[in-house]
Amino acid sequence: MFSSFLKPKAIMEKSLTELNKAGCHSTSSLPPEPVDIIRNKSCFRRVRLNVGGLPHEVLWRTLDRLPRTRLGKLRDCNTHESLMEVCDDFNLEENEYFFDRHPGAFTSILNFYRTGKLHMMEEMCALSFSQELDYWGIDEIYLESCCQARYHQKKEQMNEELKREADNLKDREGDEFDNTCCTEKRKKLWDLLEKPSSSVAAKVLAIISILFIVLSTIALSLNTLPELQDTDEFGQSSDNPQLAHVEAICIAWFTMEYLLRFLSSPNKWKFFKGPLNVIDLLAILPYYVTIFLTESNKSVLQFQNVRRVVQIFRIMRILRILKLARHSTGLQSLGFTLRRSYNELGLLILFLAMGIMIFSSLVFFAEKDEEDTKFKSIPASFWWATITMTTVGYGDIYPKTLLGKIVGGLCCIAGVLVIALPIPIIVNNFSEFYKEQKRQEKALKRREALDRAKRNGSIVSMNLKEAFARSAELMDVVVEKNERPHDNHLSPSRWKWTPKRAPSEASSNRSFNVQELGSSNNARATSPQGLNVQKLEEIYNQMAKTQSQPNLNAKDRGYRVCKQRDEIELGTIPDHRPVLGTREGVGDMKSLSSIDSYISCATDFQENPRLPCSPAIDLGLQESNRFCHSPATTMSQHNSAKTAQQSPVELVPMLTPVSITKPSYSETARKFFFSGNSSKSLIPKGACHSEVESGLSPLSDSSVTSDHSLLSPEVSVYTTASSRTPPKSPENPSLAPTVFTFHDSSISKYIDADTDDDEHIRDISDASPSDHLLAGSSPKCSITINYQKGTNHLEAAQKMLGQTCLFPLEGIRGVAHENHVGPELGRRPKVERGRQNT
Amino acid sequence: MWTTPKPNYRPGLVSEGEISVNIGGVRVVLFGDILRRYPESRLAELLNCSTQNDEVISSLCDDFDPNRKEFYFDRDPDAFKCIIDVYYFDEVHIRHGICPICFIKEMEFWKIDQSVLDECCKSYLNEKEDELKEISNKVNIILEDLEVDQCVTRAQRCQRFLWKLMEKPGSSLTARIIAIASFSFILVSAVVMCVGTIPELQVTDAEGKLVEHPTLEAIETSCMLWFTAEYLLRLSSSPNKIRFALSFMNVIDFMAIMPFYVVLSLTYLGTTSMMELANVQQAVQALRIMRIARIFKLARHSSGLQTLTYALKRSLKELGLLLMYMGVGIFVFSALAYTMEQSHPDTLFRSIPQSFWWAIITMTTVGYGDIYPKTTLGKCNAAVSFLCGVIAIALPIHPIINNFVVFYNKQKVLETAAKHEVELMELKSGSEARRKSKN
Repeated sequence: MFSSFLKPKAIMEKSLTELNKAGCHSTSSLPPEPVDIIRNKSCFRRVRLNVGGLPHEVLWRTLDRLPRTRLGKLRDCNTHESLMEVCDDFNLEENEYFFDRHPGAFTSILNFYRTGKLHMMEEMCALSFSQELDYWGIDEIYLESCCQARYHQKKEQMNEELKREADNLKDREGDEFDNTCCTEKRKKLWDLLEKPSSSVAAKVLAIISILFIVLSTIALSLNTLPELQDTDEFGQSSDNPQLAHVEAICIAWFTMEYLLRFLSSPNKWKFFKGPLNVIDLLAILPYYVTIFLTESNKSVLQFQNVRRVVQIFRIMRILRILKLARHSTGLQSLGFTLRRSYNELGLLILFLAMGIMIFSSLVFFAEKDEEDTKFKSIPASFWWATITMTTVGYGDIYPKTLLGKIVGGLCCIAGVLVIALPIPIIVNNFSEFYKEQKRQEKALKRREALDRAKRNGSIVSMNLKEAFARSAELMDVVVEKNERPHDNHLSPSRWKWTPKRAPSEASSNRSFNVQELGSSNNARATSPQGLNVQKLEEIYNQMAKTQSQPNLNAKDRGYRVCKQRDEIELGTIPDHRPVLGTREGVGDMKSLSSIDSYISCATDFQENPRLPCSPAIDLGLQESNRFCHSPATTMSQHNSAKTAQQSPVELVPMLTPVSITKPSYSETARKFFFSGNSSKSLIPKGACHSEVESGLSPLSDSSVTSDHSLLSPEVSVYTTASSRTPPKSPENPSLAPTVFTFHDSSISKYIDADTDDDEHIRDISDASPSDHLLAGSSPKCSITINYQKGTNHLEAAQKMLGQTCLFPLEGIRGVAHENHVGPELGRRPKVERGRQNT
Repeated sequence: MWTTPKPNYRPGLVSEGEISVNIGGVRVVLFGDILRRYPESRLAELLNCSTQNDEVISSLCDDFDPNRKEFYFDRDPDAFKCIIDVYYFDEVHIRHGICPICFIKEMEFWKIDQSVLDECCKSYLNEKEDELKEISNKVNIILEDLEVDQCVTRAQRCQRFLWKLMEKPGSSLTARIIAIASFSFILVSAVVMCVGTIPELQVTDAEGKLVEHPTLEAIETSCMLWFTAEYLLRLSSSPNKIRFALSFMNVIDFMAIMPFYVVLSLTYLGTTSMMELANVQQAVQALRIMRIARIFKLARHSSGLQTLTYALKRSLKELGLLLMYMGVGIFVFSALAYTMEQSHPDTLFRSIPQSFWWAIITMTTVGYGDIYPKTTLGKCNAAVSFLCGVIAIALPIHPIINNFVVFYNKQKVLETAAKHEVELMELKSGSEARRKSKN
């Protein structure tokens, strides 16, 4: 690694003064002069490239072979700025250039310079390799044929999958309703009819619809039973009147369903074109056409002709069984598979056709001289060949001569072979798609969140796949957890704070998530997936209008802010202790989520002053014990949404953890509280109790003492309690280690999350003034200091951030100059910088 | 083996008898004694000449640091770590993830013989090399098509033009149209052959016999003329006549055409009473079966069919296995069925050869129902034979299917690879041309 990164600040400064002309570069030192750079370059024949921590050494001359690539440009760059454009960091002293990229891929790329042959590491993901190639400025066409085949195959596969995913997302995005009349109602109706998993009512509706389909098909087949048929005035058999009623009811239902769908659809033409809707229409239309024809042609003469037409339309009624496809993933994947493997299907049919042709003519020549033969011509023996090749074997035609029997035997075996050959390819297609479909269905809940994020543009499109897959996995766990209702009770009250503070889209994203998950406990929404983003946004907008005037004097506000900070600190930090204790299975995710919460706590500090008024928040805190839609939450989310627009840059890394944060958090919180109540371990139970005794809320009183299932009041009591009573010292020892432990994993997680974008680490650390933080002193002591101060808690939060940033020592100064008004000012330039970075 | 010292990945000064090398940033200190085990290798040469003049050294390595006595090589350090094993273990394994072709190049650089490569990695290498060979074959074919005519004489140019027209449907629009026309002629002739046998469409000739409808006959003749013209054009334009005549597709073509002319000549002979008319008619009948061959002509136009033939050719062994299983099963079960059914008075199993047919139909689960067992024992035997038949077919069929799928997928990959290779060549030649023009 680059030594300058790790050196403590003091040493670095010292070394800087010593080597001031050498131009050892770091973000804090002066850029070296072009002269130095040129001189330095001419001194060495070789150059050291540090890519993601792996050192490489290469001749300058080798790099010159491809002058237009990134490494080739490195040679020509003579100014500090241009060098920084090409690489992420450099050290002239050591003649070393740092690139924050995947080291694995770089080996093969460097070999390209050396040997002129571009090979690909076997275990590399093709997509990520192509990204690397893009970064280094090498065209993928240079890949050698031995690796190229694999690369393209994988990449095509990936692209196909990505495209499908994007299509899916777009489909969902397409549900965007324009603001014409009664948007909200239409949206509700659309959800009800099109998304069976969105609510109980929708599910019931879907089941009813399935029942109607089954009923109508049964009625259709029963209709043809001679015993159940009536005879009409012409002596022809006609429909049973009871069954005709059933049919009419079913058709009425289908028609109603179709019309409602059509009315509520956001895009009428797209709806009309959709294959499932075409099927629906085809299932309904024959009935009406039949009625129209029979009613308009009453006369006997025309009747026979009409009857024939009507019979044809009756056959079309069979199409309604295809309506089931809407409710079955399996049928949809079958349709997709057939569409995708038409090549192989064509092959299958071609094989069969050829086999039939050959064997039927062979058997014809073998059998035609036989007495009373049924193989009268080649077309007549087609039937025999088909039935034999598919091994059905009705036995209505069979060869009788010895030659015919030999041909027949060969035909059987050839049929088995020919049918079996192309089928595995089709099966493969099917199973692939089916697996994918299953996974997508599982991740449906999380998809909404991602969808949202994508619209905001916070996901780099290249990253989509990775982020998607990872969050999908995490989401599966989350979804399972959400089954437990009391988890959700907890979350809204505690979590409404964090979203508000995150200066990014991720936070807005998360806030929706919170809202969504929380709302599942409300009477209205039933499943976590049923988040009404649209509605929420409206509420936010309203809130913004009413409360957008910052009507507060700075001091009071600052004080309040501190209080909130205090609450959050206490709320979040102790929660991680149980995580450490019970680190099994989901432990990783928890630490991740905790980080996320910490980061958001820390970074959004700047946001606080812009909150309209903190009393509202306080109020909201208590209120939200019972309601998720408290003003405080909505307002906070509005704020975060706002900030999201301002700073779209630094967002990406937060995205993946977003979906998991809340549930795991609540989970840990729950654990914590159980332990706190029962085992009386390290938890500041005293604080909790004291508050309860002070009679803050009657609800909390009961919950602490007895009710374990209703956890949310407890938590909120705890947080509010801590805001008033400064925590006692026994708590601190327990706090410090927790802070430390997730520290490492958090950093690595972060780096993991955005290996693609080298700007991120810097962005995060720059994101707030808090990157000049007090990391020099041990976190433990900083906490104690903060807590003794009582009011000034923001440092504690910033300390968390300080740990994630790369120049921790600078933090000491930060403590001094940090105040509650300043951050607002400090924030603006940062946003500007973020824009420049993009 | 393990007692030999491992390579020393430490920077630092070298002591006597040691050599310090820097391979793309990775520093290794190696013992001279060990390097001398392969005296022709690059490192050993370096050791021997390290005391000599600079020129030799610079010819062997990329850079030399006299202060640290360190030789720098601008090579892949990962591959080197594998290759260095040869000095210690006398064998080299390709590390998983490194492309074997690339690895071989590295071995060549270090002047290590390929024979030290271990067997397990060799097979992998061979696989890759085969693939490359196939790709290069395809590339050659494409390049041939793209090649600008260099034929001097006009006749040669004509021949070449014709060849492209007939054999490469992708080369031009006319060639494509000809391919489509040929395809539709095959279809039409196949349909005509089938329709011609329908008794309702046949007419009685002078002797009261049913013969084909004159219009169908006319269509048949025109198709035949087309096929003949096509074949002759191909033959005349082919660069190598013998190879052309013996290739599989062209044999099929010939078989499809030949019966028509044989029949024509025979009838001519018959009418001129040089041969017995009955004999002629018998021969004509026999030759009509040969018409079926024209269906195989479709294979020329479908890569899927070619894949099928290739897969079947590749899995001849498995096909033999399948037939053997079936044969054994047929013998066993028909004999069993025959003996068991003897007790029944009006049995359908009159002899063992006759019950062969039943056994085939049962084992392939076709079951026409023309012969079926009537005794209880016979029915049990039938059930067992049916089960055995399913297994006997399913087991050997799997490798055949596997061959087919693998080949089918490989075909796709190779096609894209070849296309890419051509693109790459164009790119390289283009950049070379640019460089030349610059100079």
